[in-house]
Amino acid sequence: MRPTESIAMSLANDAPRFRAGVILALFVMVAAPALLVIYQSVLDAPFFDDNVRFSLDAFRFVLTDPEFYRALWTTTLYAFGMVVVAVPLGGLLAFLITRTDLKGRKWLEPIVLVPMFLSSIVLAFGYTVSVGPSGFVTIAFKSLFGAAPWSIYTLPGIILIGGLSHVPTVYLYVASAMRRLPSDLEEAARTAGAGIWRVSLDVTLPMVLPALVFSAALNLLLGFETFGIPLVLGDPNGILVLTTYIYKVNTIFGAPTYQVMAAVTVFLILITLPLVFIQRRLLRHARRFAAVGGKGARTNLLRLGSTGQAVALGLIGLWLLVSVFFPVGGIVLRAFVENWGEGVRLTEQLTLANFKAVFEIPSLSRGILNTILLAGVGGAIAVAFYLLVGLAGHRNRGRSGTLLDYSVLIPRALPGLIVGLTFFWLFLFVPFLIPLRATLISLLIAYIIVGLSYGLRIIQSTLLQVAPELEESARITGASVYRSWRDVVIPLVRPGLAGAWAMIMIVFLREYATGVYLMSSGTEVIGSLMVSLLTSGAMDQIAALSFISIALTAVGLTLALRLGAKLHD
Amino acid sequence: MITRRHVVAGAGALTAVTMAGNRSAIAQGVPAGYPAVYGELVDKAVKEGAVSIYTSTDDVQGRPLVEAFRVAFPGIRVDYNDLGTNGAYNRVISEAAAKQVGSDIVWTSAMDLQMVLVSKGQAETYKSPEAAQLPAWANFNDQLYATSVEPVAIMYNKSMLGALKPPQTRAELIAFLQANKDALKGKVASFDPEKSGSGFLFFNNDARTTSDTWELVRAFGGTDPKVYGSSGAMREKIASGEHWIAFNLIGSYAIEWAKKNSNLGVVLPPDHAAAFSRVANISKGAPHPAAARVFLDFLLSQRGQTAMAASGAPSIRTDVSEGLNIAKLNEMAGGKLKPIPVSAALLEASDPKTRAAFFQKWKQALRG
Repeated sequence: MRPTESIAMSLANDAPRFRAGVILALFVMVAAPALLVIYQSVLDAPFFDDNVRFSLDAFRFVLTDPEFYRALWTTTLYAFGMVVVAVPLGGLLAFLITRTDLKGRKWLEPIVLVPMFLSSIVLAFGYTVSVGPSGFVTIAFKSLFGAAPWSIYTLPGIILIGGLSHVPTVYLYVASAMRRLPSDLEEAARTAGAGIWRVSLDVTLPMVLPALVFSAALNLLLGFETFGIPLVLGDPNGILVLTTYIYKVNTIFGAPTYQVMAAVTVFLILITLPLVFIQRRLLRHARRFAAVGGKGARTNLLRLGSTGQAVALGLIGLWLLVSVFFPVGGIVLRAFVENWGEGVRLTEQLTLANFKAVFEIPSLSRGILNTILLAGVGGAIAVAFYLLVGLAGHRNRGRSGTLLDYSVLIPRALPGLIVGLTFFWLFLFVPFLIPLRATLISLLIAYIIVGLSYGLRIIQSTLLQVAPELEESARITGASVYRSWRDVVIPLVRPGLAGAWAMIMIVFLREYATGVYLMSSGTEVIGSLMVSLLTSGAMDQIAALSFISIALTAVGLTLALRLGAKLHD
Repeated sequence: MITRRHVVAGAGALTAVTMAGNRSAIAQGVPAGYPAVYGELVDKAVKEGAVSIYTSTDDVQGRPLVEAFRVAFPGIRVDYNDLGTNGAYNRVISEAAAKQVGSDIVWTSAMDLQMVLVSKGQAETYKSPEAAQLPAWANFNDQLYATSVEPVAIMYNKSMLGALKPPQTRAELIAFLQANKDALKGKVASFDPEKSGSGFLFFNNDARTTSDTWELVRAFGGTDPKVYGSSGAMREKIASGEHWIAFNLIGSYAIEWAKKNSNLGVVLPPDHAAAFSRVANISKGAPHPAAARVFLDFLLSQRGQTAMAASGAPSIRTDVSEGLNIAKLNEMAGGKLKPIPVSAALLEASDPKTRAAFFQKWKQALRG
């Protein structure tokens, strides 16, 4: 056994109490909502009802409801359809941007990621205004070509939009795998006379296959959890997915029937947990596989040639047009007009009234401030928390490390709406939590849980960049494990933490479902205000809030890039 | 015409005047016609300092009322929570079970859910001094009060309908949908009773009170129908020309929208002038019981009703000249306005069996 290995072994067992404490606390935080959902699903009334009894009626209802099977089938189609759209496109984009000498790839990268930072509810609104049946793009297209042969309200339309908006997720993983690939194999193939497509298909593709498979699994998972796009685009035509089905069973009985919502969520957990397992397994392989190249390998870029450049830029341009310009353009337009559509002269409609209303209404302007506060300060607190968790899991090969793995999985399987509802109850019924309920802290805790897997992934990958030798040498010279973290690891990852903070900020800005049940007067947040305005149909304010949300996200993204956020790990 | 913005600006100015000048809440707190002891209630309410509202009326529409209340009672802060109908109900029963009541007033358009709260003993009994000004059907045992009268309407896009003559009555609507079945494919919208409590209330009430409801739903079903969870969502699609006509949407909103957009037409069909109300109760164990009473009284008072009418919720009182009121609406409907009474019959609508039966019929009829 080499000495470093034995030190690594002993390092693993360091600070067991700290590790166990943090991980246990995290486990309680994530298990509580999941357990509450499972418990609620086997009752015949709200769990707090005086006459509540155990019953499997909720499951019986769900399993005999044809709508449930329809929603399940639609969700499956949606999830797989999304994969079919997003994975090849995301892979191609990653290849073009990381492995070729594509012009402008430096500034293309942040733009390519934009759809990922917009809440899907905002995206979907934007699409109705631009490419809906009366959208400005549709009308322009019709006047040019006589007809507009698409409909965004059909299942294929919704799948296409969902798929396009998830291209960045694929891009992130595949691009990071591709960056780690040495270029010698590609060069060898090029020298032997293979064309660029041949090289990408026969050399690059097989090497990043694990990352592609991984991102496919991830997208499948995201597809099952999807809410905003089907809610806005599918609902009016009766296209239901599991999450909107949950939303609907909440109203169909008149009074909310939590047991049925909970039962559907249990099914969602049963479907998604295996996916999460597969995904984590793949991740482990992907990392191992991608590490082949090592650090020394220098990447030489493939040359596209002028035709290649034109084709590639054209393709990316088209994708950007559809995935960024259409939705963002739609929102921007809607925010500055009151009427739009066929026969409406937009120039006559320009107005700032929508924004005026937002700033005049206390709850809405407060919502903007709260959102900034929650994203900025809350994001920093979240990063601190993720760092604690990250350290607790850092080079942790003990049993608590396994528990950590499980804890991170659980929130992935719960829709944000349900996390919010269960936290609302926890803050209502758990005595020591009661004083926090009407504060932003309750929202922050729920947000931390919802953002856990994403945030922890950023932190973990940052922590892994610190070479173990550095920690080990600190330990050998007599530093305690805490001291080695404080004086070695944390200073080294500090730039990474700043970037992580900016990324978490964007994630919190984007969130909408979690706050729906949790917020109250004084703790409004933009995303959830949009959902509650949606129920009364105040589109003017929704559009203005969406615009503000996009603007804030742009600020966050700029900040993230300034702070050196790694958009890829 | 006074627009909403004027009212808001005026209210703001008034607030400033009140703050600067007379700071005695009591002096102006006892409205004419109230018992003299009312001053004590206002005193208590000011001491409580706040009133918490759980509502489904969004902040935009509720603001004039809140502003007017602030002018009348500067010492009482209004915590206004737009939670939606289900959200408000959920929060009330959850908080009651946790003995953490946070609402003073629950004020939503889900007449049936509100009646369920009353039947569960979650509403306080309080005889408002304003009760005498209300129609008898608008007060349920001094526990649940109707605060507005809002008819359902037909709304259409004038230029999109083009040569098609918009239907003026419910009977014409049925004939219109049947005759133009193909031209109207995908162009007709209405409330979704499955996803919207208001939608269910309207259609279920229709089914109970009129004989041609299912014929209408069948005719609707023949047009590749689109259903929405809110009137606002329908407005967006009608105004943009994506849909041409919608029925059973909230008429008071439609009238406001048509004022701002001359391409929108609104019909209150005189042969079918059903109207629902936003209903309010005081929560059992309200944290600010006196402020709750003062707010409820204000909500029903002429001033409160005027503020609400200014933002498009027609008044239930005949002495409110702002916007629409129950008498004007009745006139517009040819004397046939039929408000849904605040009564125990509403409970039926929340009975799972009733609902299941309704939805079965609904789906069947939609298939045509």
